Amino acid sequence: MKLRPTAPFSHPAWRLLPGLGIASALLLLATAGLGALLWEASLPDVSQLWGSRYLRTVITFTVWQAFLSVLLSLLVAVPVARMLARQPAFPGRGGLLRLMELSLVLPSIVAVSGLVSVYGRQGWFTGIASDWLNVSWNIYGINGIVLAHVFFNAPLAARILLQAIESAPASQRRAAAQLGLGRWWYWRAVEWPAVRPVLPGLAALVFTLCFTSFAIVMTLGGGPSATTIEVAIYQALRFEFDGSQAALLAVVQLLICGFLWWLAARYGLTASLLPDRRVASHSSRAGRSFWSRLTDGLALGVFALFLVMPLAAILLRGLPGMGSAFFPQGSFSVNPALLDATLRSLAIALPAGLMSVGAALLILASGTATSRSTIRRVTDVTAYLPLMIPPLVLGTGLFLLFRPSLGNSSEGLVLVTLINAMMALPFVLQMLRGPLGRLDSASRQQADQLGILGWYRWRWLHWPRMRRPLALSMAYGTGLSLGDFGVIALFGSPGQPTLPVLLYQQLGSYRVDAAAATGLWLVLLLLLLFSVFNLLGASRLSLRRTANSPRTVQEPEHA
Amino acid sequence: MLEVKNLVFAYSGQTDPWSFQFAAAPGQCIAIHGASGSGKSTLLNLLAGFLEPRSGDILWQQESLRNCPPWHRPMTSVFQEHNLFEHLNVETNIGLGIHPGLKLTPQDRQAIREALQSVGLEGFSKRLPGDLSGGQRQRVALLRAILRRQPILLLDEPLTGLDREARDTLRQLLLEQKAKGVLMVLASHDEDDRRILADSTYNL
Repeated sequence: MKLRPTAPFSHPAWRLLPGLGIASALLLLATAGLGALLWEASLPDVSQLWGSRYLRTVITFTVWQAFLSVLLSLLVAVPVARMLARQPAFPGRGGLLRLMELSLVLPSIVAVSGLVSVYGRQGWFTGIASDWLNVSWNIYGINGIVLAHVFFNAPLAARILLQAIESAPASQRRAAAQLGLGRWWYWRAVEWPAVRPVLPGLAALVFTLCFTSFAIVMTLGGGPSATTIEVAIYQALRFEFDGSQAALLAVVQLLICGFLWWLAARYGLTASLLPDRRVASHSSRAGRSFWSRLTDGLALGVFALFLVMPLAAILLRGLPGMGSAFFPQGSFSVNPALLDATLRSLAIALPAGLMSVGAALLILASGTATSRSTIRRVTDVTAYLPLMIPPLVLGTGLFLLFRPSLGNSSEGLVLVTLINAMMALPFVLQMLRGPLGRLDSASRQQADQLGILGWYRWRWLHWPRMRRPLALSMAYGTGLSLGDFGVIALFGSPGQPTLPVLLYQQLGSYRVDAAAATGLWLVLLLLLLFSVFNLLGASRLSLRRTANSPRTVQEPEHA
Repeated sequence: MLEVKNLVFAYSGQTDPWSFQFAAAPGQCIAIHGASGSGKSTLLNLLAGFLEPRSGDILWQQESLRNCPPWHRPMTSVFQEHNLFEHLNVETNIGLGIHPGLKLTPQDRQAIREALQSVGLEGFSKRLPGDLSGGQRQRVALLRAILRRQPILLLDEPLTGLDREARDTLRQLLLEQKAKGVLMVLASHDEDDRRILADSTYNL
């Protein structure tokens, strides 16, 4: 028998152990962070929770605004999802779907600056409303916070709901179409049964996102009456140096979020928290008539406008300032502040993206390498850990843990990178899980027989298929870190800002034009990042396939 | 000598387990005969190591293969379909049979070129399997199996569903391999396949 060459890293341990190591390290890090928190938040302090008026206000406000945001987001998202589902041929539907995807990566601080230009005191929309309708409002406080949360979460929720509706069994949809069900009965018979199982998880997701929202509350909130727990933690740590109060608040936040996820998990947590990019379409009678097309079209138009206006504001206000932001006072040397912030942002975001993608791959590999359920559970839990433990809570714990030694700021930046990578992990894992598991059993058997194992299997079987999802998840991971404002605010120093911090500083000192330019630059940087990764991910394979296909059609088969 | 001794296997939920027993010598082709569902594919998958038997043993030159992983067994499978990696081109598909990490010598590449030429597939080396016809794909799969140079070929309906011309080409290739001393285990519904290729029959 001829001895086959063995592949490097083909021992099963290579697949199992690295991922398991990372998963355990993450669990350990989380436990260490939480342990430090509990240590600081000593028991007598708990009575302080209800004794202190400030803490009470903060907690109530946090819950209240999150509740309102979930309610409004879902109230917007459900009709939007239904309309998108029943209008598969709506012009601009694809564009609207892409626009709705944007909310996942648009840095919240940039969106806030756009929202302020539309709905703020001098905003366009505010002007129109007060001239025509004689109404006025103040964007600072709960109005603005909830508005921003709806701006972010309604599109996210709508996409997830749309996916749920479109995945309703075809048989049901066919039957409904045959019966010619009207809107109400179509909802009762087809849409509601598809949406119901997704709702608890979705509500939990949106609630957590709003509950732990930081940048939005920092910029649009203010004063004890409009402060969330997350912001209060930050203030306690950075301004009052009150570790125990921060710890106490972090524990409260953890308890509420943890309880919520536990509840959602009990009532069926949907596996897909990230909207799929592919959306099938189907038709129903409900959307066929002229009137329904018209009203749906108008409503979707309003929704699109709601999403587009702040983005347009960023573009229109930022564009004139771009030149002077880069070349101040007409000089030909690049503005060092902006350049520095850009480089610092990239220096954090690119490694963070790379780390999250690498960790996700290894964790997924070890999850599939074993049939033992405990190991699988460890890797599954790690995947959702960062959603359950808000990054700022974890950051607080680690901050308290490392405080004495966190002297120099570069160590702080390393920690920021680490936590950012962790934050991106659930999303990246979600994006890579499908493609990595898609290797069919026939290919697996062939690969086993041919001895394509370990590194060779990765190189020849996974890598060619994973290029695109890898590039996309790398873009998402990097993009999320690029727009991060929470963790960097906690660990960074104001003298060394990243782009979001710079933007926040400019907003705070009312340098609106400079802020607009920075915001636009951040968005452009994100777009650039996505297109670069998209280009890297475009496999040569698919290019060649499209180049080849006409030829194969013309050529007669001579088999 | 390939000896299958009291090899017992049952899928979960199957009340009546299968038991297999036969032997074959190098340069011979043994046909596995039986109705569909009688365990032909199962037997071939057991031989390849894709399935784990309950008991019994497989011997090759007096050595047990029972605890050998698929990649250490001296055999190559060719199924009716899904034999190729769809995302890799013809040359890479064949090359991975020669070296699992595609570390090919110039001689290896030359051999692939010549083999493709010999079955009328010159100029197809950069094509993807999806662009080929069923017969062309099957020729590529068989070339890979042959160039892998293992002493045993496991053939599971390799010619089913192909047109006459493709069958003739492939049968010729298989006969050549047999003449070179390769042992073949053939599962086929087709009377002609068995008559032309097989030296003996094992009835299930």
